[in-house]
Amino acid sequence: MNKQSTPPGVAPGTPPVLQLRGIGKFFPGVIANKDVDLDVWPGEIHALLGENGAGKSTLMNVVTGIYQPEEGEIILDGYGQTFTSPQEAIRAGIGMVHQHFKLVQAFTVAENIHLGWDEAPRIASPAVMEARTREISERFGFPVRPDARVCDLSAGEQQRVEILRVLARKARLLIMDEPTAVLTPEETGELFRALKAFRAQGNAVIIISHKLDEVMEISDRVSILRGGRKIGTFNTADCNPSMLAATMVGRDIVRRNMRARPEGAAPIAPDPVMQLRNVSVRDDRGVDTLRDVSLDLHGGEILGIAGVAGNGQRELTHVLTGLMARTSGEILLDGNLVERADPALFVQAGVGHIPEDRLRSALAPSLSVTTNMALREYPYPPIGTHGLYDAQAAGVLAGDIAELAQVTIPDFAMPIRNLSGGNQQRLVARREIRIASRVLVAAYPARGLDIGAIATMLGYLTDLRDQGVAVVFISEDLEDLLNVSDRIGVMFHGRLMSVIDAEAADMATIGLLMGGRDAADTQPGATQ
Amino acid sequence: MAARAFQRLPSAPAGRILVLRLVAIVLSLFIIAGVLALSGHSPVTLAELILRSTLGSRFGLEDLALFMCPLLLTGAAVTVCGTIGLWNIGAEGQFYAGAIAATGVALGLHGPAFVLLPVMTIAGILGGMAWITVPTLARAYAGVNEIITTLLLNFIASLLTYYLTTGPWRDRISGAQVSTQRLPVAIPEMWGIVHWGFPVAIVIVIALALVLSRTRWGYEIRIGGANPEAARYAGIPVRLRIISVMLLSGGLAGLAGMFEVAGTVHRLQGGMANNFGYLGIVVAVLARGSCLNVIPAALLMALILDSGIVMQTQQLSASVVLAITGLILFMIAIGDELAHYRPVASTTPKGKAS
Repeated sequence: MNKQSTPPGVAPGTPPVLQLRGIGKFFPGVIANKDVDLDVWPGEIHALLGENGAGKSTLMNVVTGIYQPEEGEIILDGYGQTFTSPQEAIRAGIGMVHQHFKLVQAFTVAENIHLGWDEAPRIASPAVMEARTREISERFGFPVRPDARVCDLSAGEQQRVEILRVLARKARLLIMDEPTAVLTPEETGELFRALKAFRAQGNAVIIISHKLDEVMEISDRVSILRGGRKIGTFNTADCNPSMLAATMVGRDIVRRNMRARPEGAAPIAPDPVMQLRNVSVRDDRGVDTLRDVSLDLHGGEILGIAGVAGNGQRELTHVLTGLMARTSGEILLDGNLVERADPALFVQAGVGHIPEDRLRSALAPSLSVTTNMALREYPYPPIGTHGLYDAQAAGVLAGDIAELAQVTIPDFAMPIRNLSGGNQQRLVARREIRIASRVLVAAYPARGLDIGAIATMLGYLTDLRDQGVAVVFISEDLEDLLNVSDRIGVMFHGRLMSVIDAEAADMATIGLLMGGRDAADTQPGATQ
Repeated sequence: MAARAFQRLPSAPAGRILVLRLVAIVLSLFIIAGVLALSGHSPVTLAELILRSTLGSRFGLEDLALFMCPLLLTGAAVTVCGTIGLWNIGAEGQFYAGAIAATGVALGLHGPAFVLLPVMTIAGILGGMAWITVPTLARAYAGVNEIITTLLLNFIASLLTYYLTTGPWRDRISGAQVSTQRLPVAIPEMWGIVHWGFPVAIVIVIALALVLSRTRWGYEIRIGGANPEAARYAGIPVRLRIISVMLLSGGLAGLAGMFEVAGTVHRLQGGMANNFGYLGIVVAVLARGSCLNVIPAALLMALILDSGIVMQTQQLSASVVLAITGLILFMIAIGDELAHYRPVASTTPKGKAS
């Protein structure tokens, strides 16, 4: 508990706008939030930081009445409240701006502002609604064009409409979920100025973000969530990005050495099986998502990739598996230049891939379990011979995979989406491990699994390593990374900051690298 | 608040769908009977007449088979395309294109039937493929919505048929309106007026079902339709598969046109597609993505069409027939939707309900 007295600038005796006490929210098999306490004061911008799956969104959904908590209480201005719907939350002055805007594209800005608003005049001509919108826009300092259609607006303008819609309903607490993800730097600057003006009127803002530098710039205090629990609340002035990154990912790390090889394990191969040389990727917006990355993958070795999510991990994974074309640089498989990005080539070469969003991109949810399990091996015997597809052989394969993955499947002909997310994940992991004869690229393979399943998953990775496969293990969990990796690379802003020896690595160094500080600044001995 | 007594499941078991569809059909028949009775017709007499002229007599059965033949192929055309997640709304146009190509061969070349018929078949298939080529390439390479492009080409094909049958290919022998002369060759008849196109169509539908479930190509099509992203991930050349599926779809509809012109009508006529292309969409929707289901779906559709003709002989207008078709399909759609719901076992004690 960090019980706080009234912060400076707030009249003594003023209660926090929002107090959470011991909030707990559970889903079947998952603790989304547990024992979360949070105070948000008038006149503060409060950042909520945490990895994916740390429970930030669930917590905010509890605050805005989308979910009802199983434990704990929500206190507004000193009075206990329960919300059974988002409408009640907005009536109490809590407004949320979601990452994906909830606007009617074909309506004008004024129409969107007035939609579902009980204060909207009963009979309103476009002119009246536009005049009202203009007045609201000026009052809150968010310039919008009331007569423009939402579909003609940029992401930044749409976000302003979304914010105005909330503010018009007299929100005193504005919750923003990753507001800068879709904005240009200029738009981000404008948003931050407006948020500061909103704060100056004695209102409060909760901002969910992954971007540490922005958290440093905009927030007064930071609360960090990890594994559904709050780790702590800090004054931003006392923080720096590296320390935030380390706190976000680094629980009390129990170092278990899973690097030790059992008898008879394959040694680390001297020649790399895959190499990236100065690989860069530029996306459609012209942003460099991967910058000048060079690395060597050796058989019999696990290369861990650490970093705050969204720093190029996705692009790295896709380049390593042929799903994304590089803009410049070279990729070599067994010393041979790979001419074009073609996932089929990489599969043939024995590159397995457990993608980050495996349920969306590695499975066809409406098709049967058997069909999905055959996805990697259907062109090869025994399933695929002479251009045929042997459903029986596919069934045998599916049975094998399910057995290894320890997933009980009542009916292999049922759509795979009927299985739980965790089971789908286990099946995908096992399917990919089967074909990963040379390389396995595993993006967040343990995400969403319980502790026992995580240990099993890490065991899969070390088993593959012992068989001489090169494993790329991308994770946000430093404990897992430190325990199984031989080397750890850290990604920041699309750059591979440095690759360090996992045995010698310490939290401080990795934290600094994750916050964008060069390893050379910190620990010259540990680089490369 | 009232507790929800029903829950919607993402997938519905086939058995439930079948039962609810039968209920839907029976209910719509009752509604139709009621309306007919109110407008002074005797539903019982009418029903007897319809049964006698469709399922109850040899001529009726022959007619049914002739209706089914094009519906099987256009239904299969739409179903195959739907497997990869695309809608071929242009079976009507491809049907005409196939019919035109086959007619062109029959009118332009001279030779024995055993030479001409295979050439006409190939021409019909190629005609249908040609008609879907532009939508196919536009879809595969530019992402242009195939629903619009295939639909619009229907009107062009239909008008082209009118032009040919009133212009360069008009019947100069017997002077039939909007029609070519009788073709010199015909698909041989197998049973009464039912030509060999009918069993061939059934075989094609069964073969397609096998191809989709038992070949690598079929597997790739199914994955591509269920989740294009997963297909890309698996290294499946989705673009090439889209091209091959759409061409196959067009070819099937073109073959339907060839069968119709060479087996049933024996002439190219304006309006001869008789909405078979559009009804193929209905058949595909009734078949719910399964090729084998196309057979019973086409049978149901053929029954409706055939009954419609019988009713027209009883002073019921064509639009009444259309309305009845619509009603039955509407009720079936409701039945399909209801099949997704299942009662929720209430956990709240009864006394607590407010």
